[in-house]
Amino acid sequence: MTATSSRYHRLSFGQRVVRDWKLNKWKYLLIIPVLVYLGLFCYKPMYGLVIAFKNYKPTRGIERSAWMDPWYAWFEKFFTDPYFGRLIGNTFTISILTIVFGFPAPILLALLLNEIRSSKFKRTVQTITYMPYFISMVVTCALIRVYCQQDGVISDVVAIFGGTRQNWLMSSEYYRTIYIISEIWQTIGWNSIIYLAALSGIDQEQYEAARIDGANRFQQCLHITIPGLLPTIVILFILRMGSILNVGYEKTLLLYNSNIYDVSDIISTYTYRLSFGGGTPQYSYSTAIGLFNTLVNVFFLLATNFISRKVGDNSLF
Amino acid sequence: MKKILALALSLCLLLTAATAFAADLLPAGDTYPLKTDKTISWYSQDCLNPHEKYADWKESPFHTNLAKLLGVNIEWSFPTTGADGGSFTNTMMADPSTLPNIMKGYFMDSANMLLDDEVIWDLTPYIQEYAPAYYAWLQTNPAYDRAMKTDDGRYYAFGFFREDGGWNDSYLGVVVRQDWLKECGLEVPTTIAELENVIRVFNEKYDGAQFAFANDGRFRQAGIQGAFGAYATGYVASDYGWYVKDGKLGFGATQPEWREYMKWMNKMWEAGLIDQDSFSLDDTSIKSKSETGKCGVSYTSMGQLNLWNKDMGDDIWVGAHFPVAEDGSISSQFGGFGIGTHTTVITKTADEETMKLCLQMLDYAYTQEGFLFWNYGVEGESWEYGENGLPKWTPLVADDKDNDPMTKYNGATWGNSCIQATNLLYLKNSPVAIAANDAFFYTFGKDEYFADPEVEAKTLAVTGGWKWPVGITFTTDESDQLDLLGGNSNLNTYVAENYAAFITGSKDIEDDAVWNDYLAGFSALNLDKIMAIRQGALDRYEAR
Repeated sequence: MTATSSRYHRLSFGQRVVRDWKLNKWKYLLIIPVLVYLGLFCYKPMYGLVIAFKNYKPTRGIERSAWMDPWYAWFEKFFTDPYFGRLIGNTFTISILTIVFGFPAPILLALLLNEIRSSKFKRTVQTITYMPYFISMVVTCALIRVYCQQDGVISDVVAIFGGTRQNWLMSSEYYRTIYIISEIWQTIGWNSIIYLAALSGIDQEQYEAARIDGANRFQQCLHITIPGLLPTIVILFILRMGSILNVGYEKTLLLYNSNIYDVSDIISTYTYRLSFGGGTPQYSYSTAIGLFNTLVNVFFLLATNFISRKVGDNSLF
Repeated sequence: MKKILALALSLCLLLTAATAFAADLLPAGDTYPLKTDKTISWYSQDCLNPHEKYADWKESPFHTNLAKLLGVNIEWSFPTTGADGGSFTNTMMADPSTLPNIMKGYFMDSANMLLDDEVIWDLTPYIQEYAPAYYAWLQTNPAYDRAMKTDDGRYYAFGFFREDGGWNDSYLGVVVRQDWLKECGLEVPTTIAELENVIRVFNEKYDGAQFAFANDGRFRQAGIQGAFGAYATGYVASDYGWYVKDGKLGFGATQPEWREYMKWMNKMWEAGLIDQDSFSLDDTSIKSKSETGKCGVSYTSMGQLNLWNKDMGDDIWVGAHFPVAEDGSISSQFGGFGIGTHTTVITKTADEETMKLCLQMLDYAYTQEGFLFWNYGVEGESWEYGENGLPKWTPLVADDKDNDPMTKYNGATWGNSCIQATNLLYLKNSPVAIAANDAFFYTFGKDEYFADPEVEAKTLAVTGGWKWPVGITFTTDESDQLDLLGGNSNLNTYVAENYAAFITGSKDIEDDAVWNDYLAGFSALNLDKIMAIRQGALDRYEAR
């Protein structure tokens, strides 16, 4: 075994690839569609990012549009934009709140479901919690808006307890709460699937051993289930951090109104309005903002990955 | 050539004499069919799509008939169903060598660049010879002619015009439940105080019924600011938020009059007379509110009013005049010039001969025959003359239960290169909707409008005269600068946000410090620089 592996390591990278190819060529063929997909839809369009440094005009195309002078003019415009601070603040706040409250929710649900003995009840709960995920965003948000009206469900409940009826989406103080709660409602079931899958992968003998040692259910959960889930949690957390600035713009766009811009306006809705808010679409500027967005995301992804590798043993790469 | 010019000139004289029925005096289109075996490709963004019942244009009577009447094969194309029209056009424009010969879209903003980059044809040397009817039409109204050329006088586009001028451009306004008015012994309100009173009485009598409207897309764009002497609501875009007075550009949302308007709205809000949901709802939701008796005064379009009445019956909703001040004055109201912001251009993929052919094809819509065809379709098939001497639908259209069946046969919908007949709008809408539109447009009375030229001039000044004119073009350099300055987008965010804050009271409009703070905020948004650029473009437009 040792001899084989040392011989293997003596080979050059190219030779190793050839050898591996010979051994596993049919498995490699399976990857081709994915590679084609990634190439066409993730790498090829990256060329278009150059318009962040150009004054892009549709009729002139990418090639013939002039370069900006200075090349960072669009970035400079964004950083000096009167709304820059607010946009970054709102985007981070909503994103972090979603992570703090939204990330643990499906884990808890999965743990709770795992403790249920009646499979019928378990399946019913699962189906009900998945459902909101499959409703189109437009419909979900229309529902939320109707619930939040001055004569909607929320006002009805508040009125029972003697509060005043109002349109809850009109005040800045409630917007984030509405956003986060509805976000959890929408995604909790769907996101718990991967944890349930990971749970089923935990060796049942460990539970048996723990029971023999006298561990109660809570202790079993604490010492076996959670450590068993941890790698999955860490990987998903790192990936989630990689999209920290990608707050769903569809939802914000469908829920917000001009009265609550101060808490709801985020980078993506701002860029949306730049493109479709009446007037000539500003392609170059929007692209520059998008590129900035991506850079921040990559930074957070790498940082989380780095910290995770230092602290625990789990990391993406 | 001389003959055509003479004809055009005499026509001009005739047309200026009788603007009301201008379309009857269009030149005859006796050069058609053109008889050529060329195939012209024709792209249309946003309208002119075949009726939803047809799989494609080959089944559509309008598209096939047009080719037959023109004697030219046409290959039509449209944005993919579901795609955003503007983005689709922009993607196409990325490769100017493959563009369709004729294209309809929003080209006014970029006209200079498109001409300089040789993407579209400069029609100036050819227009009088190959599009005499259109040229003659443009000469009937200086605003038409100005809108369809660049500052340096280059003609480049065919436009959309309404036969009636601005009548249908004032297609929305205050609507009231007349059954409630009757029960309360009230009249349809005309002044802002009367409007306030109606809202109050309804609120007291009908269990807290409120003034409810769709803020986005309706009220914020159009508003009722005129009674306060203001010129803007809460919306800023190329043709909203700005006003022109004696050739000078103004920005409506910084005027003291606008502050008065906001104070009034805030007062109504604080008194619980405005439905809080107005900021997040659309027309459909307002309709359901009115069906459950939660709203008796609203703000919507004649089309919606039609729909609301259809479902509630008995023509419950009626249109009201735009509210005026106590002394009967009004500075501005929702309206326009009856000129579309879309244009149809001929691209350089057409060689010179083909371009001349395209000119003749487009010119057809501005001849007598073409006018009738674009508005009603083929005589005897979709329409015939009625007893009043005006076209009316044959049973083929009248008995068709599909949505807007006339659009199977005609093409005179908003934005297409043609003149839309007023009669077509009458045929399309119910009498109560037309009456509502009359109320929206004839702010100083309909009979007075036709009897008294002074009232006519006053009405036109209030409906369209104050607006940022259609067809102003920025130079490429100017539009680049506007992009870097943040243009309308940031201004719109700022105004929309403060408009909402003032109305709901989260910012106190009565407090001078708050107001000054608001005004000071505009300097960070480069309002002065943007105004200077716009004023320059406006000056050049006026000088055309």
